[in-house]
Amino acid sequence: MDRIQLAATDRSPQVDFDFATGHLSLQGESYPEDAAAFFGPLLQALRTYLMQASGPPIVFEVGLAYFNSSSAKALMNLFMPLEDAAEQGRSVTVRWRFADGDETIEEAGEDFAADFSHARFEMVRAA
Amino acid sequence: MNAEAAPIEAASLEAAGSRPAASAPPRGGSLRGAGPRRSSDFLKAAGFVDVPTAEPGSMRPGALRGSAQGRDLDSLAHTLFLRIYPVIAVVVLVTQIGIAWVNYRDQLHLYTERADLMASLTAKAIAGPDWSASPQVYRRPMEALTLDPAFRAATLRDATGNVVMTLGEVRRGRSFEEITARADLAGAPGGAPVGRLTLSISAEALRGNAEKQAVLAVVTSLILMFAFVLTLHANVRRHVLGPLKRLLLAMREVEHKRWVPVELDGAFRASNEIDVISQAFNRMVDGLRSGDEAKHLLQQLEQAHRKLEDANHLVMESIGYARRIQSSVLPERSALDGSGLEVAVLWEPLHMVGGDYFWLEEIDGLGILLVADCTGHGVPGAFLTLIVATALDRLIHERGLRDPAAILEALDGMVRTRLRQDGRGAESDDGLDCGLCIWEPGASEIRFAGAGTALTAIDGAAVTRIRGSKRGLGYPQRPGERFVVEESRLRVTPGMTLYLMTDGITDQMGGAGPARRLLGHRGVTEILGNHQAAPLSEQVTILEAALADYRGGESRRDDMTLVAFRPRAT
Repeated sequence: MDRIQLAATDRSPQVDFDFATGHLSLQGESYPEDAAAFFGPLLQALRTYLMQASGPPIVFEVGLAYFNSSSAKALMNLFMPLEDAAEQGRSVTVRWRFADGDETIEEAGEDFAADFSHARFEMVRAA
Repeated sequence: MNAEAAPIEAASLEAAGSRPAASAPPRGGSLRGAGPRRSSDFLKAAGFVDVPTAEPGSMRPGALRGSAQGRDLDSLAHTLFLRIYPVIAVVVLVTQIGIAWVNYRDQLHLYTERADLMASLTAKAIAGPDWSASPQVYRRPMEALTLDPAFRAATLRDATGNVVMTLGEVRRGRSFEEITARADLAGAPGGAPVGRLTLSISAEALRGNAEKQAVLAVVTSLILMFAFVLTLHANVRRHVLGPLKRLLLAMREVEHKRWVPVELDGAFRASNEIDVISQAFNRMVDGLRSGDEAKHLLQQLEQAHRKLEDANHLVMESIGYARRIQSSVLPERSALDGSGLEVAVLWEPLHMVGGDYFWLEEIDGLGILLVADCTGHGVPGAFLTLIVATALDRLIHERGLRDPAAILEALDGMVRTRLRQDGRGAESDDGLDCGLCIWEPGASEIRFAGAGTALTAIDGAAVTRIRGSKRGLGYPQRPGERFVVEESRLRVTPGMTLYLMTDGITDQMGGAGPARRLLGHRGVTEILGNHQAAPLSEQVTILEAALADYRGGESRRDDMTLVAFRPRAT
């Protein structure tokens, strides 16, 4: 599958979905006017990718300094197929990066973590 | 558009008026007696009159029309002919006549010498003592004179002047057509002459010659004239008029903003000067074209800008109207005054209208306080708030629900039905976070149910946060999935202040460099905790200023709503 790389804008995060290595990443801030339009293609690509029977271990790095509630919902939509894939035996790790002292993002990560039971969800505190 | 064109017209009229040379009465157009023309008159005659009077940048449509038609171009050849030909004709004529005159004089001189020679030869042959007495001596030489075809008359006189012999017809007086020569008949050396011979010969042949030459001169002049006219006309037409005509046609095109250059290599090469002018004209056309294109682009840009401005104005007007509607859906801030609560509200959409909504109502002796944060902001968010407002109204007033958890659960169902998120092929992935408090004054108790929105209580240094359900209301859910929330009860003690706030309040981006992060719930409660003694309305003002301060150069990310309340101190 083709790698998806999108540069960050002031309202959308930098996207790097490198399907060949299994390394997916979202960095920056996310509050697009139409979150469904921005995340829809990403979700579609992720679902297609996960339909492949096997592949390298998946590491999804999320380092967002801010995301609005629509983006939170979109993140949840991205996490759900990952959790499903992990349940079917795929190795999935989500790394939730947050700045030290940023309790909003930390808390959001904890909330997301609660939805995972098969995939690894790592809270990564950055100094 | 007319207002723009009018000053230009006026300016060019003014310009024309300020040129006395242009408005002075024209010189006589006649070629004869008008004196030499100045170059400006020539330009006028050649149809160029409009061009030099036009001020740069103020060329009016039609300014070149007269000249472009080249109405007088042909007169250029006439002018040249009439100006040059008389001079040449006079010179040729005078030269020919001069030559004829000199010839005539030379011939006359030769004739005179011939007459003198003949007279003196004859006189010598006749001279002798008593020559007059013997006719055989003089008759033969005299008769020999008549052999000359020009001979007219001869008279021989003796020493006393008596006529001895006369031949031909002697005319009286001087005649231009006759040359007369006299020769004395010499006697003894040093003695008196013994007679005189007078000879007249005709000069008619000379006059005939002169006349022939004069006619020849006139004929030559005429031939010269025709040759000159033909050559001049052909050359002027090819090398001057043709190129000028092309130039004028190009000018007419340019006048209509069709940027056509002049062909520089036509069938006949233009004269050097016209070539130079044509090249300059082409450069000017290039300049005008790019200037015109730039102007055109600028106009388009300005037009687009105006349209955008208009569109923006329209949108802002429309949204201003929408804000009035949304504001009218919101409750009076004083709705809970009778319930013993002090209430302050901060409602600040990001874009005039927004997805944040709050409700305050006193009903059946209970106080209802609700804060909702619908997905999206601006107009889409505002649409959702209207759905929530309508649903809430039905739940509280028609169905009479007073239980916070029941209200949220019912609200979830109604929103999902309204947005067709209940398995009918949902397009919408929208929903809302919501926090609902029911204030029971008698028990001094708050019953709270939250869906993504927390209740914060500050009591001195202690900050309590009741988060409720993590999930929001609405959003498409898996079949059979139902929103369930537990109610929390909080006993409100004096000095305790409660806050319902949307995440727009806590999600304030600020700080620089590595410290750049969201203010967060802790940051907000710190600000509020520092001003617990202040009236709630003042706390709200302080908080708003503190948030702006924290953001610094960062923009707001979301709609903000905060409802602060506490039992009124009695």
